[in-house]
Amino acid sequence: MRALLPWLLICATLSSCAPAGDGGVVSEGRRWFGSLTPPVGQVFRFNLGTEPELRDPGVMGGQPDGRFARMVFEGLTVNDARTLEPLPGQARAWTISPDGLVYTFHMRPGLVWSDGTPLTAHDFVWSWRRVLAPETAARNASLLYPIRGAEAFNKGESDGSDLGLAAPDDSTFVVTLGHPTAYFLFLTTYYVFMPVPRHVIERHGVRWTLPANLVGNGAFRWTFWRQNDRYEFVPSPTYWDRAHVRLERVIAYTVDDLNTSSNLYKSGATDWNPSGYIPSPWLAYMKPYADYRTDRYQGTYFYSFNTTRAPFDDVRVRRALMLAVDRETIARDLLKGSREPWGRITPAGYPGYEGPPQVGYDPERARALLAQAGYPEGRGFPRVSLLFNTSEDHRRIAEAIQAMWKRDLGITVELSNQEWGSYLQATQALRYDIARRSWIGDYLDPNTFLQMLMGGDGNNRTGWSDPRYDALLREAARTLEPAQRLRMLAEAEALALDAAVFLPIYHYSTTELVKPWVRGLHPTVLDVHPLRHVWIDHDWRRNLEARP
Amino acid sequence: MIAFILRRVLLMVPTLLVIATLTFVMMRLAPGGPFMSDKEMPARAKQELMQRYGLDRPLHEQYLAFLGNAVRLEFGPSYKYPDREVRDIIVQGFVVSAELGGWAMLVALVFGVPFGVLAAVRQNRPEDFAIMTLALAGVSVPAFVLGPVLVLVFALTLTWFPAALWTGPESRVLPVLALSVAYIAYIARLTRAGMLEVLQQDYIRTARAKGLRERAVVLGHALQLGVLPVVSYLGPAAARILMGSIVIEQIFAVPGLGRYLVIGAINRDYTLVLGVVLFYATFLMVLNLLVDLAYQRLDPRVELA
Amino acid sequence: MSIGIAPPAVQAAPRPGRSLWSDAWRRLRRNRMAVGSAVFLLVLGAVAALAPWLPGLADPAAQDLALGATPPSPAHWFGTDELGRDLFSRVLHGGRISLLVGLVGTFVSLVVGVTWGAIAGYVGGRVDDVMMRVVDVLYALPYIFLVILLLVFFSKSLVMLFVALGLVQWLTMARIVRGQVLSLKQQTFVEAARGLGASGAAIVFRHLVPNTLGPVIVYTTLTVPAVILQEAFLSFLGLGVQPPDASWGTLVSDGARALALFPWLVTFPGLAMSLTLLAFNFLGDGLRDALDPKGRRDSS
Repeated sequence: MRALLPWLLICATLSSCAPAGDGGVVSEGRRWFGSLTPPVGQVFRFNLGTEPELRDPGVMGGQPDGRFARMVFEGLTVNDARTLEPLPGQARAWTISPDGLVYTFHMRPGLVWSDGTPLTAHDFVWSWRRVLAPETAARNASLLYPIRGAEAFNKGESDGSDLGLAAPDDSTFVVTLGHPTAYFLFLTTYYVFMPVPRHVIERHGVRWTLPANLVGNGAFRWTFWRQNDRYEFVPSPTYWDRAHVRLERVIAYTVDDLNTSSNLYKSGATDWNPSGYIPSPWLAYMKPYADYRTDRYQGTYFYSFNTTRAPFDDVRVRRALMLAVDRETIARDLLKGSREPWGRITPAGYPGYEGPPQVGYDPERARALLAQAGYPEGRGFPRVSLLFNTSEDHRRIAEAIQAMWKRDLGITVELSNQEWGSYLQATQALRYDIARRSWIGDYLDPNTFLQMLMGGDGNNRTGWSDPRYDALLREAARTLEPAQRLRMLAEAEALALDAAVFLPIYHYSTTELVKPWVRGLHPTVLDVHPLRHVWIDHDWRRNLEARP
Repeated sequence: MIAFILRRVLLMVPTLLVIATLTFVMMRLAPGGPFMSDKEMPARAKQELMQRYGLDRPLHEQYLAFLGNAVRLEFGPSYKYPDREVRDIIVQGFVVSAELGGWAMLVALVFGVPFGVLAAVRQNRPEDFAIMTLALAGVSVPAFVLGPVLVLVFALTLTWFPAALWTGPESRVLPVLALSVAYIAYIARLTRAGMLEVLQQDYIRTARAKGLRERAVVLGHALQLGVLPVVSYLGPAAARILMGSIVIEQIFAVPGLGRYLVIGAINRDYTLVLGVVLFYATFLMVLNLLVDLAYQRLDPRVELA
Repeated sequence: MSIGIAPPAVQAAPRPGRSLWSDAWRRLRRNRMAVGSAVFLLVLGAVAALAPWLPGLADPAAQDLALGATPPSPAHWFGTDELGRDLFSRVLHGGRISLLVGLVGTFVSLVVGVTWGAIAGYVGGRVDDVMMRVVDVLYALPYIFLVILLLVFFSKSLVMLFVALGLVQWLTMARIVRGQVLSLKQQTFVEAARGLGASGAAIVFRHLVPNTLGPVIVYTTLTVPAVILQEAFLSFLGLGVQPPDASWGTLVSDGARALALFPWLVTFPGLAMSLTLLAFNFLGDGLRDALDPKGRRDSS
């Protein structure tokens, strides 16, 4: 019997140490999550997340990679720390031609790379061209497609001689677009648009991003790296706005485990636990803590149907399943309000965009539709399975939806989990019935979501296509008037929602933890955080009272 | 002896070849590939990368190229981390894993063997019961439960040790503890079983009959043969423990080698997986060779044919 | 040393095995801990197997999202999980697959591992080299790909789960037995048996293997929790139990994720696993004593 002791001990220990059970640290009349000992000096420590795969801003594609790029490099424009609105970065000013096609950027005088080499408009021409060159194999090259001739060049259909990029002199960079693009200026804040040092790349090739070789132009200089451990930075002395960088040192740990990341924050080893690094069961219990921040995030979580397979080639079946998901209950009870139930494809928050009405929960209609499709009370419904990549979070939601379909429609759906590689292959090759998916927007426009459902798009993965939908999207791309363009997109989304190709479930949120002494770090809808203005407030206790 | 070692080392070559070939085949049969992602990469970019890494060539050519590289210990860059050589990733990770695993192994032996001997000598007495209870407890609480509990108690509540990260000496304590507990248990139980077998052998009885002190009998004669099962167990166990454990590495944010076998496989990072597998295989076979040599040391009757 | 002092196994050797087994059975029955453990395992196995038909037991898949995770209470003895399902029922149902997996893993480890190791150790030379290299190869192959391929080429089934477990569960056992046999085969009683004209197979299985039983049984019982947890890893890859079903392994590993918040989720399946280990352990010790050729050991 004594072998059982450890388990009882564990249970007892856990019950007394549980984060939900303890009141946290109470200070200044608020509850805080864990240690309240600030770092010594102007040192900022946070979890960068999973080890960045690529450190070349032109080629990279992931969230941690981007966070690294935004510290070490800087584009023409930078994001406002709160609104993300483009502000002057390497460009001090710009003009846009009345037809919205020509952007003229005026560079700041005296810009240099961190090794002292001058940085000019020519660097931008070279860097952007490099992103588009097919041999670079840049993951996000399509973000540059608004530029004249860019798509053809990137697809290997032209030699790029007509590319709309020019540097009439060292301090002027002229970009000509193929068609007006409302969000182009915003795009220039994105890391794909950052300059890269030609002289270093030509010397070191693909290994130019190793710490010994890398040269940047951003606010910070990279000084230390150990894979799966940490990145360290100091302010770059050659940065144009060095005077306003107050941090003396930044330590970014690369911790991929959510529990570990939150434990580090709690123990006071980090000052910021970025969004996505709190284990989901904890989220429900974080609300009382003053250092917990949550906001909408530009992403949606949904299921997709393989419309090439029976019975999902029948729109009535798809609609029935869509209407038999009780999103409210999932969001409220299962996710404890940490996510917002969501009934359409595009997320909230696109300026000027009025999406179609959200689909709701309507078991009556769902049953009727299923009966019309030939499966009254679910009788005769074939064996189908719901595929998801292995994760406890996906599984809980799948189990809940499986039970709802069983209860409301009388159908039995098998759950099938696969590891990442097999899952991706299955969804791409349309070897599934229903699959879990999610999408995070790249830029602030519904197009970043709706593009996905174009016939033949690599991210479609449903086998669905509708010429009317494709026509609407193409037409919208050519439309100059912003309101009209957004109306067309809304019409397209309504079409896709009506066809029930994607079954929306919830809206993503950012969920982060920030210690009270961290200043200049704000929640943003894209989870992008310029760190240049961050500083450590050692007088935080007094200043806290002054803040709302 | 020299001939034996030489023959075993030569035997490693075909064995490694078999392992490399099977791994290569298995990886290529597995669905998916290294350049797949949630957000589809443009077809042209994917094609470019396939070409860059020679993945568009016929499979047998790729296989031969890979074997050629493996012989020169050049696995090439990781597909996932293209600016890093697989060799560098392995070396960097192994230094950390070997340190963590080395401590854990040491702790496991230092506690496991004496506990096992004590339990055997005091068979069915309270000491034996206490030790075997602890050992069973150690086996039945997996590292992914023990680790978080240790963190919760010693890092977050008592704040004696850091919650994670590989920094100063104090950061070694909890991961070493979490890693070694199960091994202590295994070693203690195996030592006890081995000792019990040996303590009844004729020569031990002879030694006792000759009037040797019990202590001398146990430590001088019995222990040598009593630890044989432990030594057998140590070959594979040491390979596993020194190569790192993904569970421990994730819980304590240790930048070791253990994660790459699983994560590399999930990402279909072919070069990284092959490099790690071959490294692990070599390491394992060397350890097993050492184990076989140790048999003879401990029991001179064993013939190394 | 003369043949006279050799262990009784040699004297027992020429006699038919029946009395050896009936002796063992008689000795085992006298060991109360072992019998108790066997009864416990049988009852646990029966309850788990019959769980779907047990009256009064909650449906392990019945959700109550509004209830969510609750600590143990009179209504839910082991509490509920995050989907509001009754953990007591889930643990009982989970025992079906876990006990089965534990048994199969143990069986493979015992039969394949012991045979493989004993033959390699006894025959030695080239045979040993080849057999042990096979073990090395299986150790070194990336297991995750083995499982992924099983899933690619065969439909997922209980048989595939056992194949995936069986592929690796016997390796360390083979090494341990081989090590013991290498040492034992030079001992006088083996030479004596050989001198009496016993065949190779008889020497291996009647003289050598019984003398390795101590470490073998200890290692076997220690394998049980390892196999149960390995099933959780296979579930991660898509083999193993499929939701909403659960096994002790998946329950423990899921519970570990929210360990600080809902400690009961990890504790109860963990307890079930430990109890099983404990029972296997006592049963193992009893079996070893019963089968011990020297037959004069007390139970431990």
